[in-house]
Amino acid sequence: MTSAVRLAAVSVRLADADVLHDVDLAFDARTVAVVGDNGSGKSTLARLIGGLVRPTRGSVEVFGLDSVRDAAALRRRTAIVFSNPDAQIVMPTVAEDVAFSLRADRLSRAERDARVATALEEFGLADLADRPAFELSGGQKQLLALCGAFVRRPDIVIADEPTAFLDGRNAHIVSGHLLGDVGHRLVVVTHDLDLAARCDIAIRMQAGRVAQVGAAADVVAAHSASWRC
Amino acid sequence: MLTIYRPGTGPWHRMPAGPKALALLLLVFGVSLLPSAWPAAAVAAGACVACYLIPGVGMAELGRQVWALRWLVVVAFGLPCIFLGVEAAAVGTVRIVAAVSLAALLALTTPVAALLDVVERASAPLRVLGVDGARVALLLVVALGTVPTLARLAREVRDAQRARGARGIRVFVVPFLVLALRHADDLGDALTARGVR
Repeated sequence: MTSAVRLAAVSVRLADADVLHDVDLAFDARTVAVVGDNGSGKSTLARLIGGLVRPTRGSVEVFGLDSVRDAAALRRRTAIVFSNPDAQIVMPTVAEDVAFSLRADRLSRAERDARVATALEEFGLADLADRPAFELSGGQKQLLALCGAFVRRPDIVIADEPTAFLDGRNAHIVSGHLLGDVGHRLVVVTHDLDLAARCDIAIRMQAGRVAQVGAAADVVAAHSASWRC
Repeated sequence: MLTIYRPGTGPWHRMPAGPKALALLLLVFGVSLLPSAWPAAAVAAGACVACYLIPGVGMAELGRQVWALRWLVVVAFGLPCIFLGVEAAAVGTVRIVAAVSLAALLALTTPVAALLDVVERASAPLRVLGVDGARVALLLVVALGTVPTLARLAREVRDAQRARGARGIRVFVVPFLVLALRHADDLGDALTARGVR
């Protein structure tokens, strides 16, 4: 059976530093957590899968699409959410920012408005539709970033520390949306071990290499033990 | 993201963005080309007030626009007053304020997404010169959106420096530039992730 995500002998060198070394990885789980210490290569791994970083050596395939050769097709099926929502908000109002994600799809105005309204409703942002996006709280901004990602109906969502700047309540809400079974796969890079443990499988990164892949609970326990001893 | 759009349902709001931009452009040109005499000032001010009196905008909004231009008024009236006399300075100032306020009507009554479409369509003829209208429009939006973000970054750097007792432009510039460049990187990634090539 073909894995949804497959990395074959991937190395990445950025700014004269080796960030990933010979990573071989294949998984088909619906929700995947990536854990590890700072600088272990977690974010680079996520960006590789999302097509934002090119492998220096080796190949990355997502749904059978090569991340370099089929980059445009891959991006259409992928949504990426980052930790800093300020950098993800492009348009002035909440509704316009969500609609921005659909610009490339060339939908009719009615269809675009309907998709935006549904997404805003799902993420509890309908009442804020006309509010300036930069006036939102940190949690609301991250929900807006998620809403902008999900409105494209991606096949895979890649989230790089999506709860890093959030309080407990907002982190719980964001995690709920990410893990909710709405037809997308999820790769989430996180230091939030509760979120990681709720995924189907987890990958533990260490110094640019994959140290462990397995059931999320086992990997999270091993990761916790690695800095407690 | 800077926005002065005020949601509404009045005639200005309902008017399609393209024709509205053209109409306001003609009005702004008309006001700018009026002669430097008192009747011209009355015509310019009258046209501006008439446009703001149309339901959905209002005189309070005109007041806010004029107040925002107060320093421009000081400069536009002060210097010419010395060299050209009161009438020319006053009429010139009224024309400038009327033209800017009329132009602001477009942004006040048109969502940025619709403005983007107008910029994109308006720059379509430039495609023969290799200018991509969609990129021009996106550039404008991103440039506007970056202003409050840079302001926030500057405030954070200033607060951090104050907390450490540091003062001076040199200790401000380096961390601010680093943060601004990092923001530019993040923004680039986010735009790519949202389908912008």
